[in-house]
Amino acid sequence: MKDLSEKAEQTEENQNNILEVIQVKNLKKRYKHITALDGISFSVKRGEIFGFLGPNGAGKTTTINILCTLALPDSGLAYVNGYHVVNQPNLVRKSIGLVFQETTLDNHLTAEENLYLHAMLYGVSRKDFIKRKREILKLCELWNKRKMKVETFSGGMKRRLELVRALIHWPQILFLDEPTVGLDPQTRKKIWDYIFTVRNKKNTTIFLTTQYLNEAERCDKIAIIDHGNIVAIDTPKNLKRMIGGDIIIFKTENNKQAEKEFRKKFPEYPIKWIGKELKIEIDNGDKFLPILVKAISPHITSMQLRQPTLEDVFLEITGRKIREEINGKLEKEENQGFDISSFFTLFNPPGTEGKNQRQKNDE
Amino acid sequence: MNKKLQTLYVIWYREVLIYLRNSLKFFTSIFLPLLILIFFGTGLKTIFPAPVLHYDFAQFFFPGILGLSVSIMAISSTMSIVWDREFGFLKEILVSPISRLYIALGKILGATTTALLQGTLILLTMPYLGINFDIPSFIKIILVIFLIGYGMAALGIFFASRLKRIESFSILSQIIIAPMAFLSGAFFPLKNVPSWMATMAHYNPLAYSVDALRWVVLSKSLNNEEILLMTTHSLPVCLLFLLTFNIIITFLSVRMFKKLN
Repeated sequence: MKDLSEKAEQTEENQNNILEVIQVKNLKKRYKHITALDGISFSVKRGEIFGFLGPNGAGKTTTINILCTLALPDSGLAYVNGYHVVNQPNLVRKSIGLVFQETTLDNHLTAEENLYLHAMLYGVSRKDFIKRKREILKLCELWNKRKMKVETFSGGMKRRLELVRALIHWPQILFLDEPTVGLDPQTRKKIWDYIFTVRNKKNTTIFLTTQYLNEAERCDKIAIIDHGNIVAIDTPKNLKRMIGGDIIIFKTENNKQAEKEFRKKFPEYPIKWIGKELKIEIDNGDKFLPILVKAISPHITSMQLRQPTLEDVFLEITGRKIREEINGKLEKEENQGFDISSFFTLFNPPGTEGKNQRQKNDE
Repeated sequence: MNKKLQTLYVIWYREVLIYLRNSLKFFTSIFLPLLILIFFGTGLKTIFPAPVLHYDFAQFFFPGILGLSVSIMAISSTMSIVWDREFGFLKEILVSPISRLYIALGKILGATTTALLQGTLILLTMPYLGINFDIPSFIKIILVIFLIGYGMAALGIFFASRLKRIESFSILSQIIIAPMAFLSGAFFPLKNVPSWMATMAHYNPLAYSVDALRWVVLSKSLNNEEILLMTTHSLPVCLLFLLTFNIIITFLSVRMFKKLN
């Protein structure tokens, strides 16, 4: 027994020196009717904030579930902190912290008790727990509320508590599945502040999924995933450089005519339709604007010049906007107000059904 | 080994903490059995005039109600798994680096403890019901309650691992718990019932539980012949059955819990 535990300690040290803490090769996963992951490969370096960007149902949660040993891949290899996710699930679980999309706190217990349970589950000694508890509760600014039951907390406070709970066993890698979904901008900013603090203090690797492009921009590296494939993987800066130069979007009284004229006069610049507007990607856009106004005959009704964003990158690669599907869904949810089923939520705990739905959609 | 005990302890600790913290549940859990004992006990007593029975009706009724309340307490405690699933906390436990075996055992022991606490509170009414006891017999009663609570808790885990929604509990209680309770001999002796009923009761762990409790609870108040009149099985048979049942159901419930996702 002793020998084994010594060996385990030794390997643990080796494990902490691994540079690429997540390695994924040709990972595939099929559910009954859809291919969730169609052979993805990527790696994450230690201390990196790695963002997984994609619309709902792209395979983000499936990837996290496989890496966290909650789901088995059909084929392919995945190593987390040097451990094989299928063959060494317990070692993987020990080296990671997890924050799910939905809350997994115990509402009956206080903030402190929730942390205590987690520490015990992960084999943290009582002495270490007392030391870390203070540090961690202060980090998320819940130290004064530690004796309060979690059911009295707001959504943002719960999220913060969950985030730091995942840290109490000092994981090498922190997985965050949509950490800021449904939060107000202020709380969202705070969550990001914590994420950066944790990375800087402990050199924790952070793997997160998001559908917010402005958040993805704060990551060190982004993988854009769509329909189970990684379509691009690079730093936000490089991704935006793919677009090249500036973007001009304009609208005229006769767009078809304008497009025709533009193609004739500037065949070297690509022009595209986005809804009812036309888009040009161009270097030194500010100088091109006056030329454009003179060059086309239909009257221009609106015009816009801007730097490329990740939204443009996503559009460029996949041919559609990332938020399209999400907007459609939001409308549906709002309509439920008129549904008679809302009457029954009086008797059932609210939210659970919606939650299930969201999970299903994500698969 | 220490770490394993720690995980067992932490799961157990949470179950008990939640039970004790929920003071409403705590009081209602002993309120109903007391109501049944007082009103049913007094009311039913009037049907049987004293000369017909060789014993006091409360003496017949008390062990049965004790057994039933302890069993129902143990089973309903394990429903915390379904609550946890609905509110997400179950996921937190399932992704931790703990073996499922210890989670299941911790849950079973936690539910057993709540049943023991409730049973002890009900036992405190014994002096008012004219049931005598001393310390050794009290300890024996506690041990039997533990055996019963454990078996029912494991049975609860077995079902709770399959339940997806908390509403399903009412189905479970109607289809499984109610028949078991009615055929337990708590409300009427199983001595002279028709043979089809006797056969069914023969496989009912609650029937053995109630009989076992009658033997240990009444040991200081009635003599063996009198207890024999209201029981179908002898104490050793009851204990052997309960032990066997507990071992088998532990095995099955752990297996079921491991399949949970």
